[in-house]
Amino acid sequence: MRLTLNISRFDPQTDANPAPQAYPVDWERHETVLDLLIRARQQDPSLAFRRSCRSGICGSCAVQIGDRSRLACQTLVREVAADGDILSIGPLRGFRQLRDLVADMDPFFAALNRVVPWVITLPDHAGLVSPEDAARIESPATCILCGVCDAELPPAGSATPAALVKNLRLAVDPRDALGAQRLKLAGLTAAGMRTFRELLPSLCPKGIKLPVVGE
Amino acid sequence: MLFHDVVIVGGGLTGLMAACEAPPGLDVALFSKIYPTRSHSGAAQGGFNAALGEDDSVEAHIFDTVKGGDYLGDQDAVEVLCSEGPEVIRSLDRMGVPWSRRPDGRPAQRSLGGAGFPRACYAADISGHVVLHTLYERALAAGVRLYPEWHLVEILIEEGALAGLLLYHLATGRLEVVRCRVALLAAGGYGRIFQKTTNGHSNTGDGTAVAYRAGAVLADMEFVQFHPTTLTGSNILISEAARGEGGYLRNAAGERFMDRYAPQKMELAPRDVVSRSIFQEIKEGRGLDGGSVNLDLTHLGREKILRQLPQITELAHRYAAVDPVREPIPIEPAQHYSMGGIRVNLDCETTIPGLLAAGETANVSVHGANRLGGNSLLETVVFGRRAGRHLGKAAAGRPLPPPPRASLADALGRWQANFSAGPRHPDDSAAAIRDALNRTMTDKVGVFRTGEELGEAMAELAALRTRYDALRLSPGERPFNTELIEHLELGCLLELGEITAGAAFRRTESRGAHYRLDHPHRDDARWLHHTLARRGADGRAVYEAGPVSITRFPPQERGY
Ligand SMILES: Cc1cc2nc3c(=O)[nH]c(=O)nc-3n(C[C@H](O)[C@H](O)[C@H](O)COP(=O)(O)OP(=O)(O)OC[C@H]3O[C@@H](n4cnc5c(N)ncnc54)[C@H](O)[C@@H]3O)c2cc1C
Ligand code: SF4
Ligand code: FES
Repeated sequence: MRLTLNISRFDPQTDANPAPQAYPVDWERHETVLDLLIRARQQDPSLAFRRSCRSGICGSCAVQIGDRSRLACQTLVREVAADGDILSIGPLRGFRQLRDLVADMDPFFAALNRVVPWVITLPDHAGLVSPEDAARIESPATCILCGVCDAELPPAGSATPAALVKNLRLAVDPRDALGAQRLKLAGLTAAGMRTFRELLPSLCPKGIKLPVVGE
Repeated sequence: MLFHDVVIVGGGLTGLMAACEAPPGLDVALFSKIYPTRSHSGAAQGGFNAALGEDDSVEAHIFDTVKGGDYLGDQDAVEVLCSEGPEVIRSLDRMGVPWSRRPDGRPAQRSLGGAGFPRACYAADISGHVVLHTLYERALAAGVRLYPEWHLVEILIEEGALAGLLLYHLATGRLEVVRCRVALLAAGGYGRIFQKTTNGHSNTGDGTAVAYRAGAVLADMEFVQFHPTTLTGSNILISEAARGEGGYLRNAAGERFMDRYAPQKMELAPRDVVSRSIFQEIKEGRGLDGGSVNLDLTHLGREKILRQLPQITELAHRYAAVDPVREPIPIEPAQHYSMGGIRVNLDCETTIPGLLAAGETANVSVHGANRLGGNSLLETVVFGRRAGRHLGKAAAGRPLPPPPRASLADALGRWQANFSAGPRHPDDSAAAIRDALNRTMTDKVGVFRTGEELGEAMAELAALRTRYDALRLSPGERPFNTELIEHLELGCLLELGEITAGAAFRRTESRGAHYRLDHPHRDDARWLHHTLARRGADGRAVYEAGPVSITRFPPQERGY
């Protein structure tokens, strides 16, 4: 099968604006969008994008595919296109485009600092965590900091979406000195939190289900 | 020009642990070619070994590790690994690692291959991920200066000692000199020399290759681990945890064939044994179409599979279109881990003054000829911590070297030689050379080796090197010049591929993961030593033997 990738190209040293470039590529049923990007780069080594693990765990390859942001390595081509289609691919929506599919992730990572993104370990904590508490941490701790939620969702209170996920993961950790008080750091209403919790799983590549905290 | 007292290259578990454990107040900067949370440590699934259980002991962990490594591991280093393990796991717990838990609240443990006990602390099947993210959080808490997306190009040496580092900054496209008193390399493994590998795209062994070019000694490069269970085709890992939780290996006839090869440990024999057994089944015609066997989890039941192995379920579903709850997963062995690396002592010091190394990039030789599941993650945090703690002393003992001159001029000359304003090599490409390298390594330097094929591989790799040297890139300092990055990475892969093949050719015995069909037995009289490799004056590797530390366990026959 064959389709055309319409990839947003931009080189800050030569281009005034980003412009799409078409790459016709062959594909097979089991392939991912990342496989096709790698094929396009074989045609044109100047095409820049990030990737590392190719198995949905490192968070490098988040880009806009068609109408929304996804992980290229986790998106099977057949989920987003059919034979002969044109598939447009761009950098994460709303992020500064540094080059081609490479988005500026510095502000994304910097925004985590807003929520004191580490466990402030209670000095007298004995180091035991019940399986029930561990289960509450589990889903938000799968966050791979890929940026898809920041690209797709508006800020939740004063925190960016990914920072809010980190904040909630820490808020349910019994070792943490701030615990549920962390919600204040996010400056979010109960209604805002509910909406966010409902929207996240379908967009997030890890399908993160947020724990209910202090509502 | 930048300068810091201490520079760490690599933001995986090793580099982050070192940064977190460096003495407070020390000026530490961490450079990484990808954002630290993208490091391949995050892909590790199975767990971290540590003798925490009542029925387990440090002594037993040491013995399993030494035996698993076919007696090539340095027993003084293994002792450090296993005895510091429990304390490091407890300290990770205080840092906030979300381990899976036992009913009493302690970290849960599971069995991995080659161990006598459930010894691996885990978090479902995303163990590496959760610890990587926790250490990243701690590095933020400690105020470590992070330089993400900076690519190490060369180590600058003056008068035989570290004088600085040369790094390419992706965002600006600029080359920078970084001066420091001491540097720690924690740049990971080099699985990408092989076509079939569980490793991510960024595992190109840059740290190992660059240190070698700078004069560091490498050790045991012929020992490459092939993991028995990776998804056929994509080679995405299906962790040993799947067998630790009770999964079976079956051939096309549905037989649990491991009873022929390792009747006691069965599926949980060490990886070298299991990988060879799988290939033997396939060779004797009992494989599935396309050269696979089946990993069968169906008898574990839906609930256990989804609770303990959620990522694996998802990976099998997405990348192999298989539902492990209902059907077996077709798997094949693939490269997984590099036992070889930069030779270091127990303080993680290389043979170059001022340069340290730890983690998969290094060889302190805890794994010997074959690593046990769960021991590498343990190595990253135990030796990452040791390196970090040693950095203060190492930096205090070394004034900031003067700005590099001659070495810098040489390095810039080599840098310029990558580019040409004229036409590129018309009918060759980095992608084509890399593909040929990958195929040669997987076909001729794989699980079963012969002198003849290794000799062929060496000739093929030398020819690829000549082709590589003729490649030219278009000039210009461009941001995110990923073509340039892949070009540099390919140079490292070729270098390490040649040394791997050369060291494997030289070792005419079979030990651990190194299996020679033409020399099928271990030969302690001639080969109970490390293979040390140094770059000779003509640019080719010079090999010699190095002693193995044997403290408590004299070599025995290795049966499972
Ligand atoms: C799929 C998979 C599963 C595994 N599961 C287990 C397991 O369950 N248990 C176990 O014990 N072991 C496991 N291992 C092995 C273990 O994960 C690795 O050996 C270990 O994580 C390596 O850690 P590291 O810190 O040395 O390197 P990495 O985590 O690979 O980090 C390397 C770092 O170096 C940086 N770097 C590399 N080159 C450059 C350069 N040129 N310039 C700047 N920075 C550079 C990278 O950006 C990265 O930050 C697994 C390995 C794989 C591939
Ligand atoms: S919450 Fe999900 S979408 Fe957002 S950064 Fe984490 S993994 Fe990505
Ligand atoms: S390449 Fe790692 S998440 Fe896609």
